[in-house]
Amino acid sequence: MAEEKKGRAVATSTAAKIPKFVRGNLSATLKAKEEGKKVAAAFIADGQDEIMRAMDIVPAWGESFSGVCAAKRDAEKYLQKAESDNFSRSLCTYATCNIGFDMMREELGGATPEGAPWGGMGRPDMMLGNGQLLCDPRFKWPQATQHYQQDVPVFVTNMYYPPWDPNADHHEQEAIYVKYATEELRETVKFCEKITGKKMDWDRLAATVELSDKTWDLFIDTYELRKHIPTPMDTGDAMNTMVPLTFNLGTQEAYDFYVDLNAELRQKIADGVGVANPERYRIIWAAGLPSWFALGDFQYFNGKGVVFPVEVTYRGCEKIERLDLPKTNDPLEHIAWRWVRYWTHWYDAAKKRPGSTPKVERIIEYIEDYKCDGAVFHSAFSCRSWHAGIMQQAATLKKVYKDIPILIMEGDIVDISSYNEADTHNRIDAFIETLAAYKKRQG
Amino acid sequence: MTDIRDGNGLAAAEKLYTQYGSRARELKASGKKVIGYLSALGPVEIMTAAGVLPIRLKGNVSEAISKGDAYMETIVCPFVRNVFDLAVKGKYDFLDGMVLPHQCDSIDRTNETWSYALKLPYWHFLNVPHVTDDPSIAFMKEILRIFIKTLEKFTGKAITDQAIADAVKAHNNNRKLMRELYDLRKSNLPLISGSEMMKVLVAAMSIPVEESSALIEAVTKEVKERKPAAANPKAKRIMLIGDQIDDVAVIEAIESTGAYLVMDDLSTGSKMYWQDVDATADPVQGIAERYLRKLKIPTTFVGSADTYQGILEERFGHMKKYVNEFKVDGAILFIYKYCDPYGFEVPAIKSYVEAAGAPVLYLEDEYSTSSLARVKTRIEAFLEMIA
Ligand code: SF4
Ligand code: SF4
Repeated sequence: MAEEKKGRAVATSTAAKIPKFVRGNLSATLKAKEEGKKVAAAFIADGQDEIMRAMDIVPAWGESFSGVCAAKRDAEKYLQKAESDNFSRSLCTYATCNIGFDMMREELGGATPEGAPWGGMGRPDMMLGNGQLLCDPRFKWPQATQHYQQDVPVFVTNMYYPPWDPNADHHEQEAIYVKYATEELRETVKFCEKITGKKMDWDRLAATVELSDKTWDLFIDTYELRKHIPTPMDTGDAMNTMVPLTFNLGTQEAYDFYVDLNAELRQKIADGVGVANPERYRIIWAAGLPSWFALGDFQYFNGKGVVFPVEVTYRGCEKIERLDLPKTNDPLEHIAWRWVRYWTHWYDAAKKRPGSTPKVERIIEYIEDYKCDGAVFHSAFSCRSWHAGIMQQAATLKKVYKDIPILIMEGDIVDISSYNEADTHNRIDAFIETLAAYKKRQG
Repeated sequence: MTDIRDGNGLAAAEKLYTQYGSRARELKASGKKVIGYLSALGPVEIMTAAGVLPIRLKGNVSEAISKGDAYMETIVCPFVRNVFDLAVKGKYDFLDGMVLPHQCDSIDRTNETWSYALKLPYWHFLNVPHVTDDPSIAFMKEILRIFIKTLEKFTGKAITDQAIADAVKAHNNNRKLMRELYDLRKSNLPLISGSEMMKVLVAAMSIPVEESSALIEAVTKEVKERKPAAANPKAKRIMLIGDQIDDVAVIEAIESTGAYLVMDDLSTGSKMYWQDVDATADPVQGIAERYLRKLKIPTTFVGSADTYQGILEERFGHMKKYVNEFKVDGAILFIYKYCDPYGFEVPAIKSYVEAAGAPVLYLEDEYSTSSLARVKTRIEAFLEMIA
């Protein structure tokens, strides 16, 4: 997502195509009007990608735009604008950054505020939210934005998955959740039909969903190449290479991107090229969105021989066959099953290990598969969704698995005021010392 | 048991407020199971029907967090953190279990932190949806049925439809009585002060529903007998808006300035009491509809009207009514830091309530008395401004 400023020494050349994706997505929202297309302010990981793509609705990804502002260290003016109308600085900064931008654009009668990073984002014709388990801003943010764009209709759907409960049979509950999610997706289609004045082309939707499934599979196949020692790609790159999966799901371009990435990683493996030379420690990025303004910290790790062959963040997919999805001819029901099972497919493993949780099982699975020596978490203060519960995950991991070295970094995704580079590097150095001692003990 | 009789309602409320959970402790000793819950979304009817005592957990604003931070991040809502800290410290050691309704990220994302740290015999996360359309009502019924099943398993007793219908009646009656008590705040000099009212509200959520109703009736009778005094014509009539305010500290800060706290839109106050459960053939239907559609809390998305103004009426229309009925001169919007659901509503609520005729002071704060002096200064400045 970040703009490639200096050119990262370890970046895959495929990752260098990412700024084009991000810019393309932003400019599509600005060009949509000319092309007679409708724009929807939308959220990633909301299950609505294929519906939008199949209906030629252009998604305006607020999270992406805030990430760009953060990476360019140019978010403060928008955060302040939102704050001037009483949005607390403790709220999700992706949201407040966007809301500040939207407020300015409204004051300009819809024109893009001057100096907007990468040309800004177009005014939406609708806002699509989702009151799912992922986060509150996914339904409060569109509602808050409507205060400034009162003519823009908001539609919020709700897609849940069974909550983790070691004493409950989640398999029994899955059907209830899938039925609900399917109906909610159907409501989303109805809303989009109303706004666009077009009917859903169900065959096109089915084809789009199929393409997404293929992309999920290819993404995992590609990422699993990182199991190789030395790993050919790490999390620093993955924070960029996640863009096609996360923001362009259901498009051929996204699929093609991973074809290229796959080929490049294979080549690197064949050539024996790794991210760090020598590769001394392999670490899992176990949770947390990154500080977009400090992606260079990954290089700091790499420079010390530390690589991240795997991360939980932005790995929002799984090999379809591992999800064992029931057959259905309804593409919406398929999306719903894929959504529910994506979350529940770690539940059985968690049940087998007393005291464990699905989130921890997922980390353990990756640690084993990718041969990791330790775990790093990032705790961003403005997002409870991914970051509350990290301490519990870290403690459980140590308890039910191994006393591996763990670093919990504290910062934010957008708000740079919380960041201090020297302190961060000191903490990383101390962590590496712990890793060295740990490896020595392991023999 | 706290003796509730004519003339001592306020004293009983005071005792239950200061010794929070004392009645639950007694009932536990006599063999009753006690289930704690957080937020206005705890379906008390079902717990009452199950024969357990539902107790809404409160924090303690005077107590610094000392143990909870070892398990739970400081980016979590300060109210949730405070209650969790008390629970970890054993203040709620009489609980047999807990229900965490899916109110917000601060609750949803800490579900495992709570359950793994407290290790109570019974635990349930009630996955309340955030939207209110028809599929969501159907889903809400499903998750209430799952909840019923887990309670049945835990208590070893079936929860019949009749028991639920009876509990619905008892809780509706309790709400009606509380609304009648609220009515006594409409007079020029409110018959019950804001801090007395807060103590009654808090006491009422910690005891069985029949006792709660008896308490409210006793308080109502007692305050009705007060000799009417002349109201200070200059005193401003204030409404307090927010979520989990369950302590008199903020209210005393308001009333010590000479203002009257006459109404609230709190999830410990009017939000709990204004909406009844309809008696439906399937009692779970009425419960689902109340908690999802009738409860006015920002964690459900509401927006079916065609215009933005219409949507605001759907979301906040009740506050306009309060401003008129309780003759509110000014409102204080008191929101906890890190609370996304309420935080994102601040500009909309503020402008709506101001358009309804009551200027609004927005305060963002921690759940702690440590910042009270600052809060009081801001309240004083606000009252001067609207004088
Ligand atoms: S997941 Fe976190 S960062 Fe993303 S929109 Fe939700 S609260 Fe904000
Ligand atoms: S105050 Fe806000 S964050 Fe805290 S429990 Fe209530 S809704 Fe959740």
